[in-house]
Amino acid sequence: MVAMRAFDEACLEALRRKAIHGELHVGIGQEAIGAGMAEALEPEDAVVSTHRNHYHALAKGVDRRALLAEICERAAGLCQGRGGHMHPFDPSTNFSATGIVGASLPVALGYAHAFGMRGMDAVAVGITGDGGSHTGGFHEALVMAGARKLPMVVLVENNALAISVQFDDVSPTKTVAERAAAYSALGLHVDGTDVDAVADRFAEAMDHARSAGGPVIIEATCHRFRGHFEGDPEGYRSKEERQRLRETYDPITLYRQRLTTAGLFEDGALDAIQAEEKAAMKVLLSEVLDMPMPDPAGVLDYLFVEEVPA
Amino acid sequence: MTAATRVNDRLAMPLPATISEAIALEMERDPTILCIGEDIGRAGGVFGATRGLQERFGEDRVMDAPIAEMGFTGMGVGLAQAGMRPLIEIMFVDFVGVCLEQMYNAAAKVPYMSGGRQRMPVVFKTAGGCIGSAAQHSQCLWGLFAHLPGFKVVAPCSPHDHKGLMAAALRSDDPVVFIEHKALLLKKGRDFRHHPDVPDGAYTLPIGRAAVVRRGSDITLATLSATVEHALSAAEDLAEEGVSVEVIDLRSVVPLDTATVAESAGRTGRLLVVDEDYLSFGLSAELSMRVLEMLGFSALTQVERLAVPDVPIPAALTLEKAVVPGPEMIADRLRRMAKGS
Repeated sequence: MVAMRAFDEACLEALRRKAIHGELHVGIGQEAIGAGMAEALEPEDAVVSTHRNHYHALAKGVDRRALLAEICERAAGLCQGRGGHMHPFDPSTNFSATGIVGASLPVALGYAHAFGMRGMDAVAVGITGDGGSHTGGFHEALVMAGARKLPMVVLVENNALAISVQFDDVSPTKTVAERAAAYSALGLHVDGTDVDAVADRFAEAMDHARSAGGPVIIEATCHRFRGHFEGDPEGYRSKEERQRLRETYDPITLYRQRLTTAGLFEDGALDAIQAEEKAAMKVLLSEVLDMPMPDPAGVLDYLFVEEVPA
Repeated sequence: MTAATRVNDRLAMPLPATISEAIALEMERDPTILCIGEDIGRAGGVFGATRGLQERFGEDRVMDAPIAEMGFTGMGVGLAQAGMRPLIEIMFVDFVGVCLEQMYNAAAKVPYMSGGRQRMPVVFKTAGGCIGSAAQHSQCLWGLFAHLPGFKVVAPCSPHDHKGLMAAALRSDDPVVFIEHKALLLKKGRDFRHHPDVPDGAYTLPIGRAAVVRRGSDITLATLSATVEHALSAAEDLAEEGVSVEVIDLRSVVPLDTATVAESAGRTGRLLVVDEDYLSFGLSAELSMRVLEMLGFSALTQVERLAVPDVPIPAALTLEKAVVPGPEMIADRLRRMAKGS
């Protein structure tokens, strides 16, 4: 969690230094989900993520230097500066993402069918938010996964806000998880600010899908501490409300309290871990910012594998 | 089987059977190829272009999908990312409205967005063209796909080209939109004016090469898909009137074989591009401009285009005929051009 937050804080610093010139969506406040899912993911599993994808990429084992370099639009980035922060693709870890809300799930469905055909026990994880849970793609992917009992886990990060639109105002159901019954899927709900709970529930979801139980919807409720994107004026909620969320639901603070209360760690040791991660990311960011930008001469490269015949 | 019986079989063979044969040969060769679409399994496709495949290759590799195009089109993207080579059938090209997201934001862009790390070997097989089905079941839309960077866009005419280009599409590592024409899918081999011999085994044709299907010296006519047949019919009429028309089957919109068209137009001095797709911002203007850029603006005496004026395709036959370039409309335009008006 601490490494993930340090990563997104480095992204914010990169933005301040104008190394990122487009939209940036950070996941600060949602670290317990990223960290909680990491334990149950196997290398052959696939993860198809969203516009807010950094923690999922790190959880799947995507190289953080290449990821940060891509976010900072560098030539040595994961996708050579063509993808940027919303579109990281890493075939070596079966990780990909999409900037289109809800579009991750049909892609995850494809991985799930491939795994099924090959007789692998790998699982495809499609991630979306509460906003994405209302899309047609969510419904269609779950119809097909449910009918064919495919090994797919749909992780819904429900931060209750689709930019400004509140989940309670637009959802026909109190939770997303309860819709699972409509698709013959297992529906699970977890407090997405509690890393231990996420780890347990996510492992349960993965086991279910891995053992041919069919698809799972796991809904992790959480809070987005910052705007939808950096620069979001957040006219839809007050400063006080945001402050309250940060003080009440910070997954790192909550976990620190649990560890110190149980007598496992002292505050000083935890402070040291956080400082260490912060320092490491500071070094990494400065290395990344020294990397060259992509050469404009190659801007047309990679459109096609097979070139147009002469 | 003697050569004569074989030729007779090919003449009696409906075009969809040739397409199904091409897919089967590739599926036999490559176990990573699989087909997903509505009515392609048990029914063998609404035109029969996947007939017999499910019996041979099983339900996992020839999957009848629910009416969930966004779901199974995106599934194609995921399958390709997972190392498979899916063929996704969108029954009629008009239906892409509900799944274009996965086609143009994912399939067409992922290879580029990934900096070449992620290949996208997907074939989107679909049927376009007019057979009297009005506005929502008659479009061609190859211009739409060609406008969006990242797709190869193929629209063949002859059975020979359908077989060779389908094999090439399935072997391609790039996303290919393969647009059949409904009127051609209803034809047998013998119904085609241009019907080169179809070899029995698997073969590929390069995607992006046009074919000169009739030699001529007065006017160059470039077109594709079912309009090639109409153009050949018009060229036959014009030949009787003493006008020699060279007909070029483009076979694909991306890549667009400008060189072959420019070579011909450079000789004849006159170019007509005929397109069953919409006129504006489409193939006819793009090809005309590319030819002019290649030859220079003074190289040709006439450049004209004939395409569907920018209206939805109407239902009534008289109205449809008034907007879709058929043999008579093409012949009329050729006559006018020959007179130099």
